[in-house]
Amino acid sequence: MSPKTSDAPRLDLPVKGMHCAACVDKVERALRSVPGVTAAAVNLATERARVELGPEPAALDQLRDAVAAAGYAIPEEIAVTPESREREQADRAREIARLRVKLVVGALLAVPVLLGSMAEVFPWAPGWLRDARVLWLLTTPVQFWVGGQFHAAFLRELRHRTTSMNTLVSIGTNAAYFFSVAVVLWPHRFMAAGAMPYFEASALLMTFLVLGRWLEARARGGTSEAIRRLVALQPRAARLAEPGGERDVPIGEIVPGDLLRVRPGERIAVDGLVVEGASTVDESMLTGESLPVERGPGAQVVGGSINRTGTFTFRATRVGRDTVLARIVRLVEEAQGSKAPIQRLADRVASVFVPVVLGIAALTFAAWMLWGPAPAFFHALTNAVGVLVIACPCALGLATPTAVMVATGRGAELGVLIRSAEVLETLHRTHTVVLDKTGTLTMGRPVVTDVVPAAGTETDPVLALAAAVEQGSEHPLGEAIVTAAKSRGLALPPVREFRAVPGQGVEALVEQGRVLLGNQRLMDGRGIEPGALAKEARRLAEAGRSVVYVAVAGEALGLIAVADVLRPEALAVVAALRAMGVDVIMLSGDAQSTAVAIARQAGIDRVHAEVLPDEKATEIKRLQADGRLVAMVGDGINDAPALAQADVGLAMSSGTDVAIEAADVTLMRDDLRGVIAAIDLSRRTMRIVKENLGWAFGYNLVLVPVAAGMLYPIWGVQLSPILAGMAMALSSVSVVTNSLRLGRFRPSAGGTER
Amino acid sequence: MAKDPVCQMDVDPKSAAAQSKHQGQTYYFCAVGCKVKFDADPARYLGR
Repeated sequence: MSPKTSDAPRLDLPVKGMHCAACVDKVERALRSVPGVTAAAVNLATERARVELGPEPAALDQLRDAVAAAGYAIPEEIAVTPESREREQADRAREIARLRVKLVVGALLAVPVLLGSMAEVFPWAPGWLRDARVLWLLTTPVQFWVGGQFHAAFLRELRHRTTSMNTLVSIGTNAAYFFSVAVVLWPHRFMAAGAMPYFEASALLMTFLVLGRWLEARARGGTSEAIRRLVALQPRAARLAEPGGERDVPIGEIVPGDLLRVRPGERIAVDGLVVEGASTVDESMLTGESLPVERGPGAQVVGGSINRTGTFTFRATRVGRDTVLARIVRLVEEAQGSKAPIQRLADRVASVFVPVVLGIAALTFAAWMLWGPAPAFFHALTNAVGVLVIACPCALGLATPTAVMVATGRGAELGVLIRSAEVLETLHRTHTVVLDKTGTLTMGRPVVTDVVPAAGTETDPVLALAAAVEQGSEHPLGEAIVTAAKSRGLALPPVREFRAVPGQGVEALVEQGRVLLGNQRLMDGRGIEPGALAKEARRLAEAGRSVVYVAVAGEALGLIAVADVLRPEALAVVAALRAMGVDVIMLSGDAQSTAVAIARQAGIDRVHAEVLPDEKATEIKRLQADGRLVAMVGDGINDAPALAQADVGLAMSSGTDVAIEAADVTLMRDDLRGVIAAIDLSRRTMRIVKENLGWAFGYNLVLVPVAAGMLYPIWGVQLSPILAGMAMALSSVSVVTNSLRLGRFRPSAGGTER
Repeated sequence: MAKDPVCQMDVDPKSAAAQSKHQGQTYYFCAVGCKVKFDADPARYLGR
């Protein structure tokens, strides 16, 4: 949990102009070189940089200059507002549209070029199309207009003395283009040597590269779809209930304390407490819980959820940046912008990639000139161009961030909020899950399981008296007793002089005399003899229940046993975790016997009982000392230190009142199955990441030598620059498409059902 | 009404804060403190 504990001031800046993993590394270096910057992480998929500043922070202008010097740009406006988000979306849409036009024009021109150039393959192509001057004419706009952005970026980088994939593309296609032009202009010199123009290389390549860019831009838009959907949940206006009537106001004008009215079918604008009326509310978009929940007076409602059946009025409690929805969006955005440790490897490789590839291309050229078959220059050039074109590391740069973006977005839809890419990576390697007992494995609130009257009494008076005393109590045990009495429809006698006896119980006066409600110590302290009840009490305690005695007017009246019962899904979840190869350990502050009783019901055999709250973290540390990566699941409130100590802390929130900033993973739904969903999602994400990286690395490792013509001496195989360009475009597309599969992620059996 | 043997207050047995059995007789107290004192040395309070 180290990243979130950092108090260093942090900037989140948009960066324009990045297209590959090599760019990422360059921007990071540029930012780190600025004095006052302690760390910088750049994400290609979100096009954002996260900069951590030291005690003497760097000025924004310094950062901007450094990035500009590296050949990229930090735009004037850096804050993320709804407007900037909209503008960004509009920019993206415009970019996609522009690329589409270029793609269409490129394709319309490149196809005839291909037909005309390969007369032996397409004998039916008209004769005029075979004229090299026509091909020249057709190719020129493709080379310079369709592919203009590559050359512009190349020149910009040249000025800053940096390189990127643009360098490769620009040098490669220009080499092919100008060579062909030279052949057309001086046919006698070149054709005599056996050289032919090959405009099709340049034309098709550019078209494929633009196709790649277009697909990439579309896919990038798709990966942040989840955020867009979350943001769209918030309505733009709400109905303010005023003494004089109702009035529609923009959401920005709502302040905490305002009374808002919601009709059936409307979205709830901000977080609040129901004041009047009742309804069922669909919170599925926030919690993943598919069933609508009942909300009556005093209940919490969350902005973004949909009111289904009734009309009600609620008082706004949290607005703007403080709403649960806004916090979720912020968290998911941060997670999407974070960098998985595994990506650093790819970034490092990519940063040395371009110079290495330029070297390989030069070597290829030299080797073919020296030893290649005639026409040597033609072969040398073709193969060198092929190497330059195929070696773009953009798939490498997209492999991890796209997967992380899609996974965190999908997680949010399922009610599983993941803090960062690092959390995903750590979680997938975790094979030990520690479950806190109370509130995690169990419901977290006790229910009355037994009422034992003393000889000569009934159960109802015992419960009624106890409930009467506990009426005002906020102790969970008291609440359980009151709930039980109410569910039996018992009338509660009035009480006076209620008093809590710390560590022992409570007392109060009723008409019959003094009522004592508490443990053995309370009874002993007041001289009350439990008689036969003592044996019952021992039996119930051994079964893992908490027992309270009820005494009235100096006589033991009976006893009530309460227990925190297991969540209904606990058994299945523990079994599913086992099936996933995860060791499940239960941690509890309860006595050994109580803890073991619950653990047995859940099917857990490793129990650490009698652990005080502040010892939980120590217990986690002990497990880590065995070399385990430990995930801890708790409620995030009283086990916060243990969650922080664990390699991954998962907090299960009850309902919507959550401290989502507190844990590595927040389960929005009060359901243990979220743990399985989280682990499952992390494992699938990392599998996809590894596939992506394997694909991206493997593609370069395999195809660069092929493009260089290494197979030629053996099988006579050569890779044309056109195929190289196509393969390059497809590698990016396949990586992004693979990541998008996570958008359809469903947790495996035992996980949440949605 | 019973008398708290420690502080000599009148106590209603039904609503007494505590009680103690000593030699077959039940004594009632106004508060737990009185009971604790009594239990430590009953003879002192019943002595005369």
